[in-house]
Amino acid sequence: MAIARHHRRGTLALLLAALTAAGATLAGCGTDAQSGTGSGGPVTIQIWDGYQSAEATAFSHLVSEYEAAHPGVKISSLYVNNDDTLQKVLTAVKGGSTPDIAYLYGSWAPQVAEIPQVVNLTQVVKQSSVNWNDFYVGERDVATVNGKVIGIPALVDNLAVVYNKKLFQAAGLPLPGANWTWSDFVADAAKLTDAAKKQYGTAYVTPGTEDTVWHWEALLWEAGGSLLTADNKQAAFDSAAGLESLQTLRTMAVTDKSMYLDPTDETYQNLFNSGKLGMLVTGPWDLSSFPNVDYGVQVMPSYPGSSAGHQTISGPDNWVVFNNGSGQVSAAEQFLTWLTAAPQVKYFSMQTGDLPTRASVASAAGFDSDMDKQLTGVSTFIDNLSNVKQARPQIPQYSQVSTVLGNMIVSVLLGKSTPQAALAAAASQVNSDLAGS
Amino acid sequence: MAVNSMTRPGPGRSRPGRGGLARRALDSEQFNGWAFVTPGVAVILLFGAVPIVWSAVMSFQKSSLGSSTPFVGLVNYRTLVHDPVVSQAIQHTLIYTALFVPGTMVVGLFLAVAMNRKIRFISVYRTAAYATMAISAISEAIVFIWLFDPSYGVVNFFFSKVGLPQQQFLNSPSEALYVIVAMTIWGWTGFAVVVYLAALQGVPRSLLEAAAIDGAGPWRTFRRVTLPLLSPATLFLAVWLTINALQLFDEVYLSTQGGPLNATTVLVYYLYEQAFEQFNFGYASAIAYFLFLIIIVVTALQFWLSRRYTFYRS
Repeated sequence: MAIARHHRRGTLALLLAALTAAGATLAGCGTDAQSGTGSGGPVTIQIWDGYQSAEATAFSHLVSEYEAAHPGVKISSLYVNNDDTLQKVLTAVKGGSTPDIAYLYGSWAPQVAEIPQVVNLTQVVKQSSVNWNDFYVGERDVATVNGKVIGIPALVDNLAVVYNKKLFQAAGLPLPGANWTWSDFVADAAKLTDAAKKQYGTAYVTPGTEDTVWHWEALLWEAGGSLLTADNKQAAFDSAAGLESLQTLRTMAVTDKSMYLDPTDETYQNLFNSGKLGMLVTGPWDLSSFPNVDYGVQVMPSYPGSSAGHQTISGPDNWVVFNNGSGQVSAAEQFLTWLTAAPQVKYFSMQTGDLPTRASVASAAGFDSDMDKQLTGVSTFIDNLSNVKQARPQIPQYSQVSTVLGNMIVSVLLGKSTPQAALAAAASQVNSDLAGS
Repeated sequence: MAVNSMTRPGPGRSRPGRGGLARRALDSEQFNGWAFVTPGVAVILLFGAVPIVWSAVMSFQKSSLGSSTPFVGLVNYRTLVHDPVVSQAIQHTLIYTALFVPGTMVVGLFLAVAMNRKIRFISVYRTAAYATMAISAISEAIVFIWLFDPSYGVVNFFFSKVGLPQQQFLNSPSEALYVIVAMTIWGWTGFAVVVYLAALQGVPRSLLEAAAIDGAGPWRTFRRVTLPLLSPATLFLAVWLTINALQLFDEVYLSTQGGPLNATTVLVYYLYEQAFEQFNFGYASAIAYFLFLIIIVVTALQFWLSRRYTFYRS
């Protein structure tokens, strides 16, 4: 499963960070990956991925299948904790020992695009055999920076509502329907809250990181708002939609006290699995952490006054190719286009429970129900992929913007600031950050 | 060196001319000495000195993800002076240090005195006190997160039993830093206990007996005899704990990630964010050197103060 993906911290990250810093100075001693292979000779493709357990097994099966069909090609894969891959790639770039392919988070795409060694895949994905438009629009948006395709989608997910059926029945509430609204969600959360039992209607992650931010961005979009102006030069979230979305969160966190605030970004999993939370806005990677709960999955509620309908946010990740000579690049491109073609995507999803990156795979007859047998509720997340209508702004300053938004959301949730004041302060900070660089 | 002097030809049997300079260099004690230390020195230079110099250079550069990192002079240092988060981080770091260092020393001294006697199972108690040092920061953080959980934590449970109001702890910008102080005092107490226990064993019985004969009660003996004799250990702990406190990172990273609302952002955590989340390696290096400066000043101050208050037995 795609566990611990979104800005979650690896326990060893500090150590790794220190080692990476030391590694930067040692880069000159690194192995030389630029083995300029001529055509015809054996080629070894170095690939950095973060696959473990079921994902690792499925991936190595695909690799051996490819190697069997291409006798001259060897794929050498190296496990790298996903959270650290960009750091390591940057170190490798300085030392001239980049891998041929690396798995990189979509939220890094604007920064990845600035690395000179990254191969422009725009022409590759235009080949009819790739069928680029079969990838979801949210994925294609994140793989494209300023019109340049910098990666091929490796994984996709999205946010939906996971709910505890038993708690809904105990509270005498009907289960959430596909047409529900945020006022339904807020009312349900209040009724599911029981202070005596230490039971909460829902939870929100409040470390102030991107994990805090993207949960809110989905609400903003559903309320009809957008984060920045179309030219990405100015903040646009200090709007009626911004106010409505923050007000929704504030009602639960401050007024109703129906929302458990989790600064650790981990506790909520245990609480939901222990039956202490009624609903949770989260992604498919969490489903395998809830073996003790009879849960259902429903799409995000909508705002009745908004024409935006049911939306969600997606955090697609990319396979990125680095330039180690034309022979290596074309071998890497061939492997990637094969790896991300429909049959392989289908195989990988079936083996791992990861959402399929291609619409044609998702819509194939029987695929949904087969996936649900693997992992209850995952089919709703698959269907929810069509509700991914927008992507985060693809600008290098996004990480700064995200820090400002994280503080804005947390200050409202903790009752330290009104939504109006928080929006205004954050907007002016974002505007100066965007103007500054 | 003993081996070397045996194989070296004695003065009477020296054969000048054979082997010449190289031979003599190989035979010299100096060469043997260097041969032994070179691997260690190389490792220290490579992993210690080179990164130190490298980050000094980086602190004058503008970071970019591409290959060019232009020199920008003092820009990073100037940004640092005007960065509101830096001044917050300094404030948090100093508050934390001011509470953590004396706190750990007082708790450590109390436990060390309590365990400096011959009672049954004393080694069990001593091992237990030191065990906190052997526990990894991640386990420590997880335990404290649950202890101080606002809804499910044991601490709030006790508060409700004794009629104290429920606290938000890690969710509250005004309380989170103190939870981290408690967490780290717990974690470092074992270290202070061991240092103080060793120092207490070194207090001569004759002095304590002399004080008792002179009519001093236990408290006065402790104040006037034991405590002054412990002052070298106290100085060592003060310096060592302060340096560690100023470099606080693990517990923040593992529990609050600098939040809520930057309330627990200390200098090293901010440095980490800048370097490894925002990829501003130049700016992060400047913060690191700024912290280095603070540590030097504080340590020098401590040594200066201690010259007046530390008692060394000759």
